[in-house]
Amino acid sequence: MTRRRKQRQLAVGLAFLAPNILGFLTFTLVPLVFSLVLAFSNWDLRRHNMFHDESIKMIGFKNIERLFQGDDFWRFFGNTLFMMMVIPFSIAGSLGLALLLGQDAKTSRTRRNWVMILCAAVSVGGASFAILLGAGASGMTLLLSTVAGGILLLGFVGGSTVYRTLLYLPSFTSGVAVFILWKKLYASSTGPIDHALTPTLDALTKLVNASPAGLWSGAGWVLWIVGGLGFARFSFVILRNWFRRDFEVGTVLICLAVATIGALLCYGLGSVLIDLPARTAAGRLTPPNWLTDYYWAKPALMIVSFWAGVGSNNMLLYLAGISGISPELYEAADVDGAGRFQKFWNITWPQLAPTTFFIVVMSMIHGLQGGFEMARSMTQGGPAGATTTLSYFIYSEGFETGRLGYSSAVAWVLFAMLLLVTLFNWRFGGRYVND
Amino acid sequence: MKYVIAICGLLLVVASFATSLSMPDARSRVPVLYWVTDNNPERIKQARRFQQWLKDNHYPPFELRLDTSNSDQQKKIIQGVSGVAGDIIDVGTNELGYFHAIGLFDDVTDDAKKMGFSVDQTYPAIGANLTIDGRQYLFPCNVGCMLYFVNKSTFKKFSQPLPPNRWTFDEFESLGKQFVAAANSNPRRPEYFFADTVDREVMRRSLGLSVFNETLTRSILDDPRHVQVLKLIAKWTNEDHILPSAADKSSYATAEGYGGAATQLFNDGHYAMLNGGRYLVIQFRKFHPPPDLGWSEPPNGGFPNVSIGMRSAGVYAASKHKDLARYFLKFLASEEYNMNIVEDGDGLPPNPAFTQVEQYLRPPQYPNEWDCQAAFAKEISTNAIPSAGSPFVLFSVATRIDTALYNGMMSGLYTAEFAAFECQKRINQEIDLTLSEQPELRERYDKLVARQKQIDDLRRRGEKVPATWIENPFYRSYYRAMGWSTEKAGT
Repeated sequence: MTRRRKQRQLAVGLAFLAPNILGFLTFTLVPLVFSLVLAFSNWDLRRHNMFHDESIKMIGFKNIERLFQGDDFWRFFGNTLFMMMVIPFSIAGSLGLALLLGQDAKTSRTRRNWVMILCAAVSVGGASFAILLGAGASGMTLLLSTVAGGILLLGFVGGSTVYRTLLYLPSFTSGVAVFILWKKLYASSTGPIDHALTPTLDALTKLVNASPAGLWSGAGWVLWIVGGLGFARFSFVILRNWFRRDFEVGTVLICLAVATIGALLCYGLGSVLIDLPARTAAGRLTPPNWLTDYYWAKPALMIVSFWAGVGSNNMLLYLAGISGISPELYEAADVDGAGRFQKFWNITWPQLAPTTFFIVVMSMIHGLQGGFEMARSMTQGGPAGATTTLSYFIYSEGFETGRLGYSSAVAWVLFAMLLLVTLFNWRFGGRYVND
Repeated sequence: MKYVIAICGLLLVVASFATSLSMPDARSRVPVLYWVTDNNPERIKQARRFQQWLKDNHYPPFELRLDTSNSDQQKKIIQGVSGVAGDIIDVGTNELGYFHAIGLFDDVTDDAKKMGFSVDQTYPAIGANLTIDGRQYLFPCNVGCMLYFVNKSTFKKFSQPLPPNRWTFDEFESLGKQFVAAANSNPRRPEYFFADTVDREVMRRSLGLSVFNETLTRSILDDPRHVQVLKLIAKWTNEDHILPSAADKSSYATAEGYGGAATQLFNDGHYAMLNGGRYLVIQFRKFHPPPDLGWSEPPNGGFPNVSIGMRSAGVYAASKHKDLARYFLKFLASEEYNMNIVEDGDGLPPNPAFTQVEQYLRPPQYPNEWDCQAAFAKEISTNAIPSAGSPFVLFSVATRIDTALYNGMMSGLYTAEFAAFECQKRINQEIDLTLSEQPELRERYDKLVARQKQIDDLRRRGEKVPATWIENPFYRSYYRAMGWSTEKAGT
């Protein structure tokens, strides 16, 4: 190939790439660099714009100083971290779904007929039970059980493709529309969730009032003890492995975080059980005010995140990962007499480690960046800032007060955090994956 | 492949050319101006009337088009500082401070005097919302003073006495409790409420307390009167269920339609009273039959007052047609426009003279409104007070802090005492931050702080304070009403 021809090819190649490169430079790189500069400036829309002559000054680290000294940043950072607690559950859900969907649910005609009869019986039985409990008036429980039965039935007829499509549905529906829908679902008293919960809570109230109070508080105390002992035992094992140099620092920290979340769950559920007899004695249990209660708003948004997260790209990645595992490994395990759990623990889970690593890194990045759309559509960051995440804070500081310099500083601190988390993952998670 | 790319490129060029030819400006023979306003069907009529008015008066011809998709505050700001905002921009009641700080609006003071849309053409109470440092930037499109509309049929349905026009907190509570007890058969989920909301600021002011002090230099919300108001609202909402909680309101959200669910709930009797301005009659007139209306002032703690809501228009400072845009503000002061507001019920007309005409006081088609029309006109001239906005903190920021702490208190997160204390602390922190960011404000601030000290000294000695010293519009009215101020100039 002559030199001239090579140059011509290069020019043609660049010409084809030009629109993309120009777009990237104009809309990504230049604004990115500009916002970095901005983070060290005093740019305030009120004073520095086309209508004012005042020049923008570089103020060094003052914005970052102010950010770390103020209460708001830490509070909203705490909110962001709290909302990120849904990530492990979401990943576990995605893995569980992928494992289930990896198997075809399509059955033979005879078996299908039996399953249909069984489903119909379960649906009718469930609905009758719901009506007996008092849900007949609302019909919501009836509707939900019918929908669940219908989905089960569809799966048996259409195979796992039906489930894959249904579970992936949240990923290709418009975010804001889905959030508005969830807002309606959460509506107090008149929302479908409250309608479904009310009869269940009524039945629970009756049950608790009819049984000895000590039973419930006892169960609560047991949960507390289980949580505490479990945490101590788990921590002990983790630390012992660390001292023996079997575990890296990163693995230790991740395991400890998971243990803490588990212990907190036990503590929370235990507290609810301990408190239950007193609450039912005072009156009927009522569903929470999902989006308007300070303490429930965050969990409500986390449920939406979980719903959107389980059937998302993570599930597809796991599905792809599972299909990539060599069947010979399972055959060898069968020969050795391994059970289902052993096969999962010793083959599937280690083979999926690179996929899990990628999913964890991406989920943490999304978790730190996310929450804006949901909070903006469902709660406006409230009540009392309960659902204001860092991304929402950046928006409100930038456009509600006009402090673009400060808002950029928050964005770059967020970026630094993301970088740290990613480096941490690469440093420790990467080694785990390679091992 | 390269031919396909070339054809695509060519098609894009042709499409771009065709698009540019079909652009409104390109097709119009006269200049086209854009009015950034809310998505209200009334605007279409108003724009049409404006075109006719221009023609009838032989003013320079131009076309006015509505831009309702950019009425969000953030969009106005971004487009404004980028030089591409609409020529005429609508703003809400307390937004001028922020927009003026950016420099978004053109100073229209001189032309307003020449063309007849100066501040003295409208209600004295709203002057502070149209001007900054004596210079005019806006003219009102419509004005509202917030009263309770009373649905007489609802009170009749539950055999309850109609509320008085003026009442104290205690009377409000007592009648409210009586009403909800009679109206709600299911105590687990109250469905009928006495009123949709109460205005915290109006309640605080009725006890003699404003967000800011007399010179607008500090917030003074850490005050027992603020605590009293917060506790009262919490009691009325959570214990007495006179007012709906946020959760109650969200349960109604499923029925929301155009104009919000509140008017429908009012018409159905779920809210016996609805807080709002005269603009709500647009919605009431859509019901068949429209509700039989009465009115009440918000409850007071000794100093009756009502708040002001308004939508105003200003000329975008970077507009290419600033001279033409002024004709729109002139139109807002005209008889044609004011009568349009009178007839359509889109708030109070900008010119108070039109609140005295027969069509306003007794609209022939709507005798159900006759009790209220005069009340709105009277209240805005006697009891309406604009919100206090400090030049040292954005109004939106102060409101956000106040609302967040109020919501925290209502959620049981904070006590009323803590919310009041924290509210004052955070607003004052914002003031300090503004001063550190904008040192040019320091001189003015220090002068006002010195003035505040003089006011405090005079008050401590029981002497009268010169009214001109008081920057806070509420305290100007309050001092005058209490006989604590003098019209003599101070030194």
